[in-house]
Amino acid sequence: MADETNPASGDSAGLSNGLVSHGDHKSRRVYQAARSLHSGAVKDLLSLGVCERCVFRLVSVEAFDSDLSSVSASTLRSWLESGDEKDASSEESSCCIVCLGVLQFVFSDAKQTLLRSECGSDYAARVTDLVKEEGHEFDSFGLEVSVPATIAENERAVLLYLKGKYNSESWLQSEKISVKDALKVLVLDPLKVSLGAKSDSSSFQIRLTYSKASDEAQGASETTRERKKRKTDEENGSTSMSENSFEKVYEPCILSVHCNKMPIFFSGRYFKYSRNVSQTRWIIDDERMGEASVEELIGGNILPACLGDSYKFHAAGREDIDVRMLGSGRPFLIEVQNSRKCPSQQSLTEIGEKINKSEKKLVGVKDLKFIGSQCWAMMREGEAEKQKQYAAIVWIARPVEEKDIDSISSLKELKILQKTPVRVLHRRSPLERERTIHWMKVEKIKGSSHYFLLHLCTQAGTYIKEFVHGDLGRTTPSMGSILGCRAEIIQLDVTDVKMGDS
Amino acid sequence: MEEIQNIDVTKNPEPEVIIESTKQKQSEEVEHHCDEQQKQSQEEEDELRKLLLSDIGELPLSPPSATQLNFVSYFITDFTKPGHDHYIYRHANGLCVIGLAPTHIAFKDQGGITNIDFNVGKSDRSVLKVSGKRKKNAMRSESNTALCKVSTANDSYIVRCCVKGSLLEVNERLIKQPQLLNSSADREGYIAIIMPRPADWTKNKESLITSEEYKDKKQDGLLEPCLL
Repeated sequence: MADETNPASGDSAGLSNGLVSHGDHKSRRVYQAARSLHSGAVKDLLSLGVCERCVFRLVSVEAFDSDLSSVSASTLRSWLESGDEKDASSEESSCCIVCLGVLQFVFSDAKQTLLRSECGSDYAARVTDLVKEEGHEFDSFGLEVSVPATIAENERAVLLYLKGKYNSESWLQSEKISVKDALKVLVLDPLKVSLGAKSDSSSFQIRLTYSKASDEAQGASETTRERKKRKTDEENGSTSMSENSFEKVYEPCILSVHCNKMPIFFSGRYFKYSRNVSQTRWIIDDERMGEASVEELIGGNILPACLGDSYKFHAAGREDIDVRMLGSGRPFLIEVQNSRKCPSQQSLTEIGEKINKSEKKLVGVKDLKFIGSQCWAMMREGEAEKQKQYAAIVWIARPVEEKDIDSISSLKELKILQKTPVRVLHRRSPLERERTIHWMKVEKIKGSSHYFLLHLCTQAGTYIKEFVHGDLGRTTPSMGSILGCRAEIIQLDVTDVKMGDS
Repeated sequence: MEEIQNIDVTKNPEPEVIIESTKQKQSEEVEHHCDEQQKQSQEEEDELRKLLLSDIGELPLSPPSATQLNFVSYFITDFTKPGHDHYIYRHANGLCVIGLAPTHIAFKDQGGITNIDFNVGKSDRSVLKVSGKRKKNAMRSESNTALCKVSTANDSYIVRCCVKGSLLEVNERLIKQPQLLNSSADREGYIAIIMPRPADWTKNKESLITSEEYKDKKQDGLLEPCLL
């Protein structure tokens, strides 16, 4: 037992002499646990080149917990070896043959500089710097760690060696915490302090990825033959691991820190005033179709405000490039990947105004706002069961008569059969779809006897253009068949997309 | 004390009276609100109508048809036999609608076409069941694969695919209404829809002539006189 003559307060991380302060329960626990380990196994492992925390992890029966975080490696070593601070070596320990420096808080950064930290909080500070570089705003985070596969192989090799020497010992039988989980246990609390954030399974993930420094020097990497031999040896109960198996070169890993935020969503309704703007980006043979797209005009303005990586556009239905979207607008969602910040409602309103006031007046938006997990329910509301309203300018081969207006307006809940239109037959299944035209209204157009304005309200999924011109007779009945002459559609506008609430 | 009571009374006249007058006021407000709403929706409707008619511009007496706008017309004349003239309307998406050109000799016969039979070659083309986006089970045809047989009072003529590709659909309405071929061979009287592979189309195209060339040929009297 060490002399408890010089009590030092607080964190034992600051203690250079390894003495335990009687006020510090954590370090005392660790000290006592360290002294209780099987000294033979500890000595063996330390001399093989296993680091202090891995020794603790592999030999201890007690749970590996965060108390270990504040004890420096050299202090821990001195407790493991003799309990006497005189033996504490001041030289830098070599890279652990199991964890490759991960649990020693040693790693290389992107510029290949080797960085060492004495304790958990020091390591957390370094990680915090890397996290801050990514620029995210957050108040809670989830921590993920990934380590190279060779670490598991290294551990397997060491355990095999231990089994060979200390087969029936009780401490060997308990399940050992993995390097990955051990690191999480050690650094989670210091990270919470250093980042000033809570930890939960949240929408913001910090991933610490350790990767091999180089291909050769990574320890007990097996060839296929070695793996087969090892497996049969394990089955036969014999071990052939000796101290010689561990004489390879071990290098610390490269650590890279990645942050990822789950996608965030914005909802609103859009209007399309141009007949040369497609809903989504449309490119054929490297050439853009149309002048612009609704997707890019809206998403392209929201993405920079979120400082995100990319966006996706989802709309409740769609319209052709040459069809305007008027009336109450069409509901849409913008999904932003890996946003660094969430714009305020004020900024969103400003973005909406900017789009609406733009010179070209191609597209408009309304009710742009941030929306949470209910976004998909909102989208589904706009789908199959809902009704859509249109206004079309129709031409017929003979002058419009009063009886035409009456006969059309009197048709309520008209059932039509539409074969897949030729214009989409190349990419859709050839089916016959039954649809309903709920009502129609005809308005004559001044100064033109062959044209009229047709208002219609139809079931979602009805092809309006084909209903007017008949699509070579593949949509029946059609405007032409009802009026008994050829009919053509000159222009089409969507005037209402009915959703549940409006 | 009495004074206060008096004041109380004046402050709170009979409750019923209050309710009555409030009700009246409310219904007036509601009516007014309704009027407002009606006016507003009327205004919106007018706005909408103006917008709807805003970019018509000149309305031509006879606008181009949907076929003319969306398809490129090709023709092939004397295909495998003299007088067997067909049209091939190709959509921007690659699909080809095949039918009888106005100068096809079938139209020369008295009474026009009276019957059509899709049961030619090895199978009945009208019972094909093509399904799915990938167009499974579509019959692969060569340009000279028989599509159907049209009959008139005098004779019958084999109509061929003209285009190499997958046969997606035949116009089975013609079976019950063969007169569609006489009245509108270029629309409701189309015969089939074929989907050629891009490479096959490029090769095929060389044997076809354009709409202009077809018109010229007709005028030069190189084609049989037709019904139209």
